[in-house]
Amino acid sequence: MKLWSISLRNLRIRLVATVLTTTSILVATALYAAILVMAEQTEQRYKGSVGGFQAVVGPKDASQLELVLNTVFNVGDAPALFPLKVAIDLRSGTNFSRRGQIRYAIPQARGDSVSSHAFPVVATIDEMFTKFEWQRQPLAFTRGRGLQFSFDDLLKLADELADYETARRTGAPSLPDRPLLQKEWKEAVIGARVARTLGLDIGGKIVPVHGKLGEFGYHPHPEAACEVVGILAATNSPLDTTIFLPLGTHLLIDGHEGGTFVLEIPPGKNPEDAKKLPVRADQIGLTAIIVDPKDHVGDQILRREFMSRPDAQVAKPREVIPRFLQQIGTAADALTVIAWLVLLVAAVSITVAIYNTMNERRREIAIMRSLGARRHQILTIIVGEAALLSFFGALVGVVVCHLSEWLLRDTVEDMTGVYLDWLQFGWWELWLVLGVTGIGALAGLLPAVKGSMTQVADNLAQNY
Amino acid sequence: MIRLRDVSKSYRQGETEVLAVAVDQLDIAAGEQVALVGRSGTGKTTLLHILAGILRPDTGEVEVAGARIDQLGESARDRHRGRHIGMVYQTFNLLQPFTALENVLLGALFGRGAGSGAKHHAEALLAQVGLGDRMHHRPNELSVGQVQRVAICRALINDPELILMDEPLGNQDRSTGGQVLDVLLKMARDGGKTVVMVTHDPESAKRMQRTVDLATLRPRALA
Repeated sequence: MKLWSISLRNLRIRLVATVLTTTSILVATALYAAILVMAEQTEQRYKGSVGGFQAVVGPKDASQLELVLNTVFNVGDAPALFPLKVAIDLRSGTNFSRRGQIRYAIPQARGDSVSSHAFPVVATIDEMFTKFEWQRQPLAFTRGRGLQFSFDDLLKLADELADYETARRTGAPSLPDRPLLQKEWKEAVIGARVARTLGLDIGGKIVPVHGKLGEFGYHPHPEAACEVVGILAATNSPLDTTIFLPLGTHLLIDGHEGGTFVLEIPPGKNPEDAKKLPVRADQIGLTAIIVDPKDHVGDQILRREFMSRPDAQVAKPREVIPRFLQQIGTAADALTVIAWLVLLVAAVSITVAIYNTMNERRREIAIMRSLGARRHQILTIIVGEAALLSFFGALVGVVVCHLSEWLLRDTVEDMTGVYLDWLQFGWWELWLVLGVTGIGALAGLLPAVKGSMTQVADNLAQNY
Repeated sequence: MIRLRDVSKSYRQGETEVLAVAVDQLDIAAGEQVALVGRSGTGKTTLLHILAGILRPDTGEVEVAGARIDQLGESARDRHRGRHIGMVYQTFNLLQPFTALENVLLGALFGRGAGSGAKHHAEALLAQVGLGDRMHHRPNELSVGQVQRVAICRALINDPELILMDEPLGNQDRSTGGQVLDVLLKMARDGGKTVVMVTHDPESAKRMQRTVDLATLRPRALA
């Protein structure tokens, strides 16, 4: 028999009080752990997810944060469109002082989504699966292959669309045939979580939808139903929740053809007049271009070029995200203070719960003292009760935190783009459990001192 | 084993100082079995607590099992009590949440230690008093006689030189209580232990080797 077994027995005797007090510790610890887990994993995911995105080119109208969050983390709607010309310039190097400074420049267009989970649809080209590097490696597939739609296919289609649109807008007497959606473009590559959640495998069908379910303008695009040709390996990043379609499919979806040109409004004309003017192929609208400068020099050239460019800007996720995390960190600090207060209240509840039992335990303590128990042993037993109670509460609190992560991981990922790895444990969690145990032990000191001061003779005398 | 000289202990009740016990001189030899008798209020229990080191006398010298416990600090008196003295109370003072075996081991925990040796010793003691098959029962699942035997085992677990008993038969019929007392006295005699028993019961007192009336121990001036 040991002193702690007496503490444990005392907790079992007062089971209801023990459970209630443990619950308050549990809630405080779970809250504290959840805040730290979210902060830690948000930072890890946001920093980790920028691995393949050296630079993102996007519309001038958007903020750099908007651009990065939308392109890299699938958060929010695409801010605006900018012309295909930017991608052509980047890839050809026409406007660059030196050629060959870009390893890749992959155009993207967003806007549609799939299923009630609103998995975002990203229209892109084959290079997303051949040149783009995620953590210095091309994207890996668990099954299947990438898209086949190339940048040349995009340029050719843009020309055909521009001819058709120009004829339509200018009211030409004979309208050329509208380009048709090719069968080989009706294919999709899906992220690991999309496959898991929607139960899709190679050969499965994806029907993109416009807008959000229940909102104005929501409509499905059955004409653009695509067959799944590839499933990406899990990256624990927003790529897992993304559906990739060929840009050609995106451009030829019913209703997209007119709105996908970024119009230039000549001086003295209003936007309505501009809709009747001819369009060019390089006015096709994109939402982002993922760019990988070859080296530091390429990076500097890219920055300089876009400083003066009126139609697009470049954002560096590695610079934007730390600023963003700093802002999130301030909010997390505020939540941490709240968690500390909850923990403090829980500690006080331990003090009150044990202190209130001291009167009824005077006889029990006197008996132990009469058997030879020293004051410090009584103190140890009572502090031990508080520490054990806090230890169990903190331990279960950490477990509850991770179970909550497991339960809410999809919701959190949909809302924030942050994938929560519920099995990721940190050393800080061990320190948290030990810290809460220590705080609990301190909370037990006051009743312990009172208990250890129990007068032996007085409390044994009641029996004589 | 026990040597008391000019011992007194008073309590304050409001404005009044009440003399609880006063002993001019008392000597008890090792292995002796002594009944301590006296009218109610003569300080029998207070004296027992002084012998146990639970209370410290206001004046006088108290030597128990080779230690001047009136000169020891509280912690040292606690340690001395745990190692050298076994106590049996009128209400037995077992802790209800603990089994018979655990109650006995509590004595060891605060005495000489409750390791595996103590557990075997406790089991042997309980078996010796006929509780071999009841050692995992809680006090409220045992009869009064069985509870008393558990209390005796707890008092003996540290193999103490001195056993102090306060009205150990107070709550029982004389026949059952007498049998249990006989068991204890035999075990004490076999182990060469000193026994001091506070009692009102003349029959119980007769079982002891010597009877001391507390009134006769008072200093002549107070008597």
